[in-house]
Amino acid sequence: MIKNAFSKTQIDRLGDRLKGDPHTESDLRLLDDYRRSFGEAYEAVIRTIRQRGEFPTGRLAKSTFSIVEKLRRESIRLSQMQDIAGCRVVVANVVEQEHFVASLRIDFPRASVIDRRDKPSYGYRAVHIIAEISGKPVEIQVRTALQHLWAELSEKSSDVLDPTIKYGGGTDSWRSFLTSSSEAVAAYEKGAAVHEVFETSYSKTVGAHEKVEKATAELLERHIPDHEVQEIRGKLEDSTRKIKRLKQRIEESREEKVRLWTVNADLLNKMISWLDERRLRGQKQ
Amino acid sequence: MIFLIEYNRSEGQIVTSRDFDDSQRLEAENSRLEIELDLNRKGVDHEVVLLEAASKDALQRTHRRYFVDLHQLLKSGSGQDV
Repeated sequence: MIKNAFSKTQIDRLGDRLKGDPHTESDLRLLDDYRRSFGEAYEAVIRTIRQRGEFPTGRLAKSTFSIVEKLRRESIRLSQMQDIAGCRVVVANVVEQEHFVASLRIDFPRASVIDRRDKPSYGYRAVHIIAEISGKPVEIQVRTALQHLWAELSEKSSDVLDPTIKYGGGTDSWRSFLTSSSEAVAAYEKGAAVHEVFETSYSKTVGAHEKVEKATAELLERHIPDHEVQEIRGKLEDSTRKIKRLKQRIEESREEKVRLWTVNADLLNKMISWLDERRLRGQKQ
Repeated sequence: MIFLIEYNRSEGQIVTSRDFDDSQRLEAENSRLEIELDLNRKGVDHEVVLLEAASKDALQRTHRRYFVDLHQLLKSGSGQDV
């Protein structure tokens, strides 16, 4: 039977004991009961997100391994941990990320939003929303595909190269790769967002221009006064010039986007070469 | 679907995995606890994680780290078409 009411003191004492080694079976069972008490809050969050048409991958509860690691690494108490239960949504780009985060703010108006995009944590960039249901926090990670790739690189290299990488440790070369790659991803995503703004603006302007052209043709058939014809033609010329300028900007922003991506791709290729060299020396991958 | 994964972090590899239907959540949670207790008795430091996703493909997109090595992760990024 799962106990739903735990006192803060009881949980924090459990957390203190878990910092040590070895763990007793009764502590692991108590931790498991505590984790399961987040079940209903987790379900409510997942249901809400699915209603938005997204299918997150849910982590029903943080693993004992990760909980113990976090307790030992940080000064956090077990009762303060906000990511016991959580889920992850990976969206295509920052524009989609903004839209999705905005919809979560509506769904969970009292949730706290941790935006790590401009102030990354050891290079990690994403938006985390902590929704609280009946006093139980549930963490929703919203990452773009590139933020996600970077996070997975950081996590995987922490697994197999050095567990401190995720928190700023590891060899100078690997840390430098990850830091530079995180910055390159951020720059690319900003560039890509600018490009998308121009694309959207262009298609709207072209749509409006076509409507004006059609309306003008109809007016001209009605033999309207010359000054009105000139006024309409002037507006059409303005609109044509605007379209031309936007086309130019789209081209420039596309080139910039590709250039910014190349910076990150070059870094990833350097990391591959670095790993290949380690492999040749018989070092762990 | 629910996926129960036992992962060896330092090796970067899945040790065991088992899938459950959505209706088997309690069974999945009990299995996770049993594996954790067993690993604790043996003194083995593996991560045991319970994840829920629409499909295995979806899980492999959001949690690639469990399924591919560092090389494959890097290559998936450098080969992206922008």
